[in-house]
Amino acid sequence: MDDEMSNSARRMSMRTRKVAPKMAAALASSDNRTQAMLARLEALENDNAGLATIQIDDDDEASLDDDVDEDEAYQKKQSKNTKRKTRQAKALENAKKAPRTFIELLNEANLESLPSHVPSYLTAAVGPPSSTARRHFCTVCGFSSNYTCVQCGMRFCSTRCQTIHNDTRCLKFVA
Amino acid sequence: MSSNVVVLDNGGGLVKAGIGGERDPTYVVPNCTARPPSSKKWLLGDQLLSPTEDLTSATLRRPFDRGHLINPELQSSLWAHLFSSSHLNIHPPSSSLLLTQPLFTLPSIERYVDEIVFEEFNFRSLFVADSPSLVHLYEASRRPYGLVSKAQCSLVVDCGFSFTHAAPVFQNLTLNYGVKRMDLGGKALTNYLKELVSYRSINVMDESFIMDDVKEKLCFVSLDVQRDLTIARRPGNDNVFRCTYVLPDGVTYMRGFVKDPDQAKRYLDLDHKSHSYPAGEKGSINDKPQDKRTIDLTKNEFSLTNERFLVPEMIFRPADLGMNQAGLAECIVRSVNSCHPHLHPVLYESIILTGGTTLFPRFAQRLEKELRPLVPDEYQVKITTQEDPILGVWRGGSLLASSPDFESMCVTKAEYEELGSARCRRRFFH
Repeated sequence: MDDEMSNSARRMSMRTRKVAPKMAAALASSDNRTQAMLARLEALENDNAGLATIQIDDDDEASLDDDVDEDEAYQKKQSKNTKRKTRQAKALENAKKAPRTFIELLNEANLESLPSHVPSYLTAAVGPPSSTARRHFCTVCGFSSNYTCVQCGMRFCSTRCQTIHNDTRCLKFVA
Repeated sequence: MSSNVVVLDNGGGLVKAGIGGERDPTYVVPNCTARPPSSKKWLLGDQLLSPTEDLTSATLRRPFDRGHLINPELQSSLWAHLFSSSHLNIHPPSSSLLLTQPLFTLPSIERYVDEIVFEEFNFRSLFVADSPSLVHLYEASRRPYGLVSKAQCSLVVDCGFSFTHAAPVFQNLTLNYGVKRMDLGGKALTNYLKELVSYRSINVMDESFIMDDVKEKLCFVSLDVQRDLTIARRPGNDNVFRCTYVLPDGVTYMRGFVKDPDQAKRYLDLDHKSHSYPAGEKGSINDKPQDKRTIDLTKNEFSLTNERFLVPEMIFRPADLGMNQAGLAECIVRSVNSCHPHLHPVLYESIILTGGTTLFPRFAQRLEKELRPLVPDEYQVKITTQEDPILGVWRGGSLLASSPDFESMCVTKAEYEELGSARCRRRFFH
């Protein structure tokens, strides 16, 4: 569980990363573009943008209330004295406690197995738009854009914006 | 008896809590905990609203993910805080709970909630409602001779924090086969605005609370995107959309504010020339009117132009963002079309907007403009906005809680212990 989380964090990291030439070629393929797009959409549902700041496990000392804090510290002392947990047991407990994502819960619920006439979370989604027409906005300045970056597929509207795009964003956030 | 019903509209963004029968909830607080980088303590609920707390770059934890409860422990500690003697001061074993839950909640999540309510807090009884039916109930009672209450049917468009639902309600029951959902809400819009501002001016990726405020104060829905885009291109004073937001510096300003509120409202005049709109529309942006024109380089500020209307635009065209989902107008049409044809004309004529995201100025006008071409000519389209879209659901809940037969609709603790979660849930027809 923890491992998975850190993995996804690595994938979505906002940090600039150098991309080897071969890698760059691979990234330009449409599949990777869609992946980058999906990652971007996923990022819109994040609570904390800087993923490095989430430290769910490290707040042993930090707690919600002061008096609870003392209580907990007391209990901790006791449990330390009486029983030592193995690392595995601890990991198991953490995995149980760790909040899961909604997507995981959804997969677990196995809604696909329901007959098609039963309304469920899956059937309630609106589905794709009737027209595939899509307006494109320049990723640099926000106005309507006519050009696509040949390397990463992001949009820009003018040479000026292209330069800015190449300098700051192109192939730096897809990884 | 009815006085000790706790009504809890437990949203992904805000939790609205109060006592049934009252007009307004006692507490409307963010449903999250946050920790500023300087402290080790997680702040809960109303502590986040106090003006003395410095929430810059705070780390957030929310019990909700994509609109559904995923972290029951965090949720129960937030509730415990609200129910405690310093806040609502209730005694759960002698009170009932009316709780809202999102449509199509998974059975596993329902089980968590039942456990919290009955085993942790020991409530006497529980009633679980969905928000569209409560909104319908409230609107029907407000206008006893209106169409909503006469036809006993309405289409509730709930555009909230995590997602947007179009839900037909008939005889106080949500028709679950007609519900359509868009996975786009206020949270995604705030994050989108964050992304745009961070790329174009200042890095605000960690400032969820500030950017929420920016979104609420400055964003609006455009009625003609192409025209507004050309206006947004103009330089200098001709650009009526440009306005500046000043970030808090932690010394003189603890909260961010709009630098020049009059400048921020200039876009409204634009339409007074071409169209005519009610003047009561103007948003209440009244922060500090001093230091209007002075440019202070020590202050952190950024200006917005086209972002102001391109962000809410995504609700109407999620495809522009790369989402493979239909926009709000189409969502409504699909929802209506999945109902019985006899209901279609009534549903189009009784669209009720609720949820915090509908608070963007001109949201309803734009929706009507988009919806009209999609609806058959012989049907009327009428969109009603709630007087307070954030509290609408709670008020409906309060009304239901004060009705005489509320107690008989609840599941009691004894029934829960006897039958278990799944059997009890059947009573609520979700």
